[in-house]
Amino acid sequence: MFSIRILTAALLAGTGLITAGAAYATPDWSKAASRTITVVYPGVSPIEWIRKGVDHSGARGMKQGETCVNCHEKEAADLGQRIVTGQKIEPEPIKGKVGSIPVKVEATHDGTNLYLRFTWKQPPGGGPKMDPDNEVKLAFMLEAGKVELANLGGCWSSCHNDVRTMPGVKGDKTKYVKDGSLANGVFYDLIQWQSKPNKGRDGYIADKRVMEGGKGLVEAKGEKKGDTWTVTFTRKLSPNNEGDINLEPGKSYNFGFAIHDDHTYGRYHHVSFGYKLGIDADGDLKVMKQ
Amino acid sequence: MGSAMQPQDKASLWQRLRRPSAKYSVLAIVSTFFVLGILFWGGFNTAMEATNTLEFCIGCHEMRDTVYQEYKKTIHYSNRTGVRAICSDCHVPKDWTHKLIRKIQASGEVWGKITGTIDTPEKFEAKRLTLAEHEWARMKASDSRECRNCHTFEGMSFDAQKDRSKKQHEIGKKTNKTCIDCHKGIAHQKPKGMKGDEDDDV
Repeated sequence: MFSIRILTAALLAGTGLITAGAAYATPDWSKAASRTITVVYPGVSPIEWIRKGVDHSGARGMKQGETCVNCHEKEAADLGQRIVTGQKIEPEPIKGKVGSIPVKVEATHDGTNLYLRFTWKQPPGGGPKMDPDNEVKLAFMLEAGKVELANLGGCWSSCHNDVRTMPGVKGDKTKYVKDGSLANGVFYDLIQWQSKPNKGRDGYIADKRVMEGGKGLVEAKGEKKGDTWTVTFTRKLSPNNEGDINLEPGKSYNFGFAIHDDHTYGRYHHVSFGYKLGIDADGDLKVMKQ
Repeated sequence: MGSAMQPQDKASLWQRLRRPSAKYSVLAIVSTFFVLGILFWGGFNTAMEATNTLEFCIGCHEMRDTVYQEYKKTIHYSNRTGVRAICSDCHVPKDWTHKLIRKIQASGEVWGKITGTIDTPEKFEAKRLTLAEHEWARMKASDSRECRNCHTFEGMSFDAQKDRSKKQHEIGKKTNKTCIDCHKGIAHQKPKGMKGDEDDDV
């Protein structure tokens, strides 16, 4: 029985590799666009705080169309450090947590699927086990230009001061988007990978977060070698489904991602600023067809 | 013959002052008072400058135990090049007219000291926002004159600044901001309950 199972698996795998227009293929990563993006510990910085000049002087810049990346990318490590140690906007610092994690992000597509690969070195942990099952989670969001301020801040428009795990919040309100509505196209397409059970989920964030129902995700898998994590996503370019963003060649999309490191959940993640993913187009990551 | 009492010795001081001098030349008198004037002026200004020293300011515990401790943690106190700005550099105008006006206004502070308006940490915290707003208003009204004693946009090397600073200064210049519009809290803790300008919100 055991050997028959192996034979069947090998046969299927072989067929899968040979079949043209396969559900997914392993891309040639040497042809992928690559960028090191530093994810930072964001402390308590909901979009309401971000928008107020008296709290976050960057609001003045945002009024002039400056993206978060434009001001904060080069100083990301410093910024994360100041927050994680409680110097700024973090009322409950977690001892030993790092302020930032540099992540190599690679992206490519083959006309059918988008391939994303995230690689990073696991930082020291030891904080409270908020999510005992999952050592690590990684999620990214895609947005097509309708969510307010997503063009400047990526995922940040889904972060609010009344969402669960924010200080003083009781209850279970999930991330949401102002005026969120699938019908009006005001939503983030959200794809998350969890280390246990080493799978992905495809959902969206509109007036609330829904973790299932997406038809874009083909596969998400993570692997740890030594202390280095590698998480790879395969996602259809155009799922043609409500709650999923169709990625059209020649256009660029708002993109951001977050890592929940060290069994964290809620606001205790490390997040990226907002970047532009260009599909055969200009962007912070120019994703070219292979 | 002893020296008889001269008629003018019996006259009053005021009468004597109003009479032309019998003994001294105009030049002697003018030169004397010229020199005395210089000494007085120097003395007056020395005394006024003495009230501009850091030691004088922190002579009051109201300042020493609150804003001075906060300032010591900032870049205006300690930095790479050792250029230090003390209390008077930011809070007292350098040019004479404005300085004199400020010194006269400071008598209000002497009154506050006598009546103990902020002589406990609790009283200070309760008044922190009001006091800060006074200073911010004064600085805004003078287009951050004291900041510009040392800092100017023209003197800035934007290449030497971080991206964030460079962009904020470019925006500040473009939108005609004055230093204090953005740099509140540069030397002392920001008070709770700051109102902020809606113009700065997005």
